[in-house]
Amino acid sequence: MFAQLVDGIFWDIALWVFGIGVLWGILSIFRVRNKPDYSEPRGSGTAGAVGANLRRFLPRTELVSRTRLHIVAGYLFHLGLFALLFFAAPHVLFFEAQTGLGWTPMPYWAFIITAQLSFLGLMLLWIHRVMHPVTRLLSDLDDHLAAILTFIVMLTGCMALIGEFEGLRVLHRFTVELLMVYFPFSRLMHAFMFIPSRAFTGAWFGRRGVKA
Amino acid sequence: MATQVQTANRHRRIIVWSLMLLIALMLFLPLIPYALAYVSPEAGGVPNPGTELWRAVRSGDKGTSQVQGVDTGVLINEYGEAWRHFRMEQLIPFGAMLMGSVLVLIVLFYLVSGPLRIPGGATGKKIQRFSVFERTTHWFTVSLFWLLALTGLILLYGRFVLIPVLGPEGFGLTASACKEAHNLFGPLFLVAILMMLLTFVKDNIYARGDITWLLKGGGMFGGGHVSAGRFNAGEKIWFWIAVLGGLVLSASGLVLDLAVFGQGREVMAISHVLHGIAALVVITVSFGHIYMGTAGVEGTISSMTNGYVDEAWAKSHHDRWYAEMQAAAGDDEAEQAGGGAAAGVASPVAND
Repeated sequence: MFAQLVDGIFWDIALWVFGIGVLWGILSIFRVRNKPDYSEPRGSGTAGAVGANLRRFLPRTELVSRTRLHIVAGYLFHLGLFALLFFAAPHVLFFEAQTGLGWTPMPYWAFIITAQLSFLGLMLLWIHRVMHPVTRLLSDLDDHLAAILTFIVMLTGCMALIGEFEGLRVLHRFTVELLMVYFPFSRLMHAFMFIPSRAFTGAWFGRRGVKA
Repeated sequence: MATQVQTANRHRRIIVWSLMLLIALMLFLPLIPYALAYVSPEAGGVPNPGTELWRAVRSGDKGTSQVQGVDTGVLINEYGEAWRHFRMEQLIPFGAMLMGSVLVLIVLFYLVSGPLRIPGGATGKKIQRFSVFERTTHWFTVSLFWLLALTGLILLYGRFVLIPVLGPEGFGLTASACKEAHNLFGPLFLVAILMMLLTFVKDNIYARGDITWLLKGGGMFGGGHVSAGRFNAGEKIWFWIAVLGGLVLSASGLVLDLAVFGQGREVMAISHVLHGIAALVVITVSFGHIYMGTAGVEGTISSMTNGYVDEAWAKSHHDRWYAEMQAAAGDDEAEQAGGGAAAGVASPVAND
């Protein structure tokens, strides 16, 4: 009964909430009107937008020593999660069943190593967030919920990996649905927002001849 | 006529009885040597046809098999029975008794003596005991340790504790999930243990005064607090149990987890025994560590949550470390007064 709900109506609701929520969030950003800028451009806004997007992938030299943990753990987690989401064999099969599009999944050993590195990054990032007095002060319930929910989704996914128990697959899918419903209303939206956000900042400064 | 009939009947009876005797002899005669061997084994001399075969099987000699792989030529691994016996008859019951008795002792100790208070009460003046990185390392290790401990204990004791609650199917699902999580997070524990080792080893080397601390039971015998540096002898012992136990757990776990390097069943069984013993010992000792860090000693838990302890706590439990910190703070102040301090260098002592 629960499995039918999870595979049926719960999935449909989660997909609609996620899709509409994400679209609404992105559109609402683009609908914001800035005051017209009549000043003479001193540089290219487009170049600034592209440059800022690329430069932000690299840590600022003067901050490297203070943010080494964030950089390493951040990349481990985000790249790992991306690889798990799009290249884990069960996910590739799922996408293929849903859309008809399939691609080569990563092998089992690569999945295990990727999952371990991803967990390593997520755990270190979240524990450091709680332990550091400044980030602890800046963090609110949303930050903690997002981290914990992501951890649970990854954990249930790895627990269901062997594929012998239907209950574990249903549990994983249910946690994914919870995450999808929560996603548009949380800072997890940065997955879609980081590129336009960097682009806006880069373009704004780029037009004024400043490297953002 | 009657005589002929009688003769025919007698012949028939003789034939029937002869056949029955023959069958009886056929059935029982082969058993006589076994009966003799049973009554007097020394006089036997009549080998069981299967004896030699099973002796060879039990010796663990390798035969040949169509299946190619590690131990595929061994029909029965006799060591496996010894391992099974150890796991079921010793590891599981003695492990439960060890953990249970230590938990009961800790509860009794708390009920009898209560928490160890800060002498004279807290002053409100705080001193930094652990940096952000040290606390991150600690809680990262703690998270992995308990995730692995709980999943491991479910795998070890689940059939006794969880099957009555969840049923066989429910336990099967739970055990499968726990096994996957245990195997996945196990290698990360090695990373955590190495981080712990590198972060804390410099303050956990033997120092003068550690033996005295141990002889006085950390102040339980002889009265009063015993002098200690940043970590006392008890904390150092726990550190080395955790690190060495963690390394044994990681090494044996990797042997069990990555069964692709040609390790046979015997190596796996030995690894499992080491893994089980090390896990139960470290889990049991961790109960004491958790008690001392939370309910057992007032004012300790804050050192691992916000990084600070009360000055009175530091003075009473780690007087030598407190003196070092005060001296360092004094040096910084002197440098700042002389204009030589680097910008942003903060005193380790802070007020509430």
